[in-house]
Amino acid sequence: MLPAQAPTAYVGTANVIAVLILLAEFGMFRQALLRDQIRLYAAQSVLIAGLAVLVAAVRQLPELYVLGAATVALKAIGIPIVLRRLLRRTYPVHSLEAGHDIAGSGGLGLASTVLIGIVVAAFGFFSAKVLPVSAGAAPVTALSVSLSVVLVAFVLMIHRRDVASQAIGLFSLENGISLAALVIAASLPLILEVALLFDLLLAVVVFGLLIRLHHGRADTLSTSGLTELRG
Amino acid sequence: MLPIPFVQALQVLTVAGAAPLVSGVISRIEARLQGRRGPRVLQPYYDLAKLFRKEALAPEGASWVFLAAPVAAFTCYLTVPLLIPVLTTFPLPLSYMGDILGGGFILSLAGFLVAVAALETGSPYAQLGASRAKTFAAITEPVVLFVVFTVALLTATDLPYALAATVRSSAGQIIRPAHVLAAAALFMVILYETGRIPIETHSGTNEFGMIEEARPFEHSGPYFALLKWGSAAKQLILYTIFINVFVAPWGLAAGRQPLAVLIAIVALPAKACVLGAVVAVIDNSFAKLRLFKITEFAAAAFLLSVLGVFTVYLGGG
Repeated sequence: MLPAQAPTAYVGTANVIAVLILLAEFGMFRQALLRDQIRLYAAQSVLIAGLAVLVAAVRQLPELYVLGAATVALKAIGIPIVLRRLLRRTYPVHSLEAGHDIAGSGGLGLASTVLIGIVVAAFGFFSAKVLPVSAGAAPVTALSVSLSVVLVAFVLMIHRRDVASQAIGLFSLENGISLAALVIAASLPLILEVALLFDLLLAVVVFGLLIRLHHGRADTLSTSGLTELRG
Repeated sequence: MLPIPFVQALQVLTVAGAAPLVSGVISRIEARLQGRRGPRVLQPYYDLAKLFRKEALAPEGASWVFLAAPVAAFTCYLTVPLLIPVLTTFPLPLSYMGDILGGGFILSLAGFLVAVAALETGSPYAQLGASRAKTFAAITEPVVLFVVFTVALLTATDLPYALAATVRSSAGQIIRPAHVLAAAALFMVILYETGRIPIETHSGTNEFGMIEEARPFEHSGPYFALLKWGSAAKQLILYTIFINVFVAPWGLAAGRQPLAVLIAIVALPAKACVLGAVVAVIDNSFAKLRLFKITEFAAAAFLLSVLGVFTVYLGGG
């Protein structure tokens, strides 16, 4: 067996950013406070914007600078502010800390969840290897990482039993899709990318309403009581 | 030109001689960060000299294993510097005795001997420390294995010299995700193995949180000195592997010229002190994990190392 070839600086950096995005996704398993969860999502979005700027600089696609700026403005600043404002009302009056606290809403222990996440991420890596993508100079690892991000976001949404984490899981899933789009279709028309971003804004508003509604009815962010609604 | 066996011996002497200095520098930096004046940098040497002059006591009923273990463990620690790139970029003859796994085995053997000696004492604290150390070593072992797998996939061999040469060969080898992830996972294992803050307080006397530090409780005199010196040597060995194999394999001697070797002898403790400063900052910025949360720390390190293997094996990164 021969030693692995060194990637070019562009491919290596893009892959490292992609892996950091995946690690942020895994980090969301651990967060116990709502505002930390939102902060982690913002950090993940900043990484996406960084990748967009990198691709723009290397492949000379100036419209990606615009996309990077829009990503920071919307995902790293806008959505966290909107989310925080929507969730401020849901803090219960009698126990202020309990409202911030989304710890223990997971169905499993942290170590087990991480192991499940690793298995799911491995599946993502394998499926990307099967895809007939020969992108030449494109960072192929980043593509498989983006599949893993999507799958791990699913694990996050499935195992956390609170509305807020599920919403963050959905938004970060969209980050995984943006990552894939940046890696394999960097020259996607800007108008499409921006349309995707505004779709996300819509999802935020819908989810925010859902969270408020659920909290108004059940007086909690937890969704575990919903199973009793069976007719 | 220095003779090869002399350079080989210098590797061991450098590690043994500089290990207390690195420990002293770290505790000094840590004290300064906490606003204390802190002990002198040379304090560990004075401690060792004092302990070597004291009498040795053994608990009643302890067998010869109790007294033999510190000597045997110290021998193990001084064997590992023969296998890893301490001073030279080119492999010295004895370094072919073992690969990274071989070095790992010798380090674990030393840990096992110290644990057995702690069990011999019959003291509950020492036994508790030994039992904890072995329990958590079993969780960090897979991390080390996956780091070695990553190295093996990157270089097609698991000789530490080969990875150091690969890292030096181009910048692309350093920023590839597999290398970054493996280095980060190894750093977390080193934090665990040297008993630094997310795992345990290094210089505390809080018995309930102790793992590594509880084991030599019953030893005294020269035997205790050997254990302390051994754990400082282990720390420097792990730092050397991290620095000279993974992160910064520069400043090593490419030949046998006395000047180049001298530069390498000075460069190693200097680089280790820089790494120690980073560790001291971590020590001061995080709280100690609860004992049962250590599995989460190990799970995070495992995640990094497994992703490292994935990216290079499945994704070509």
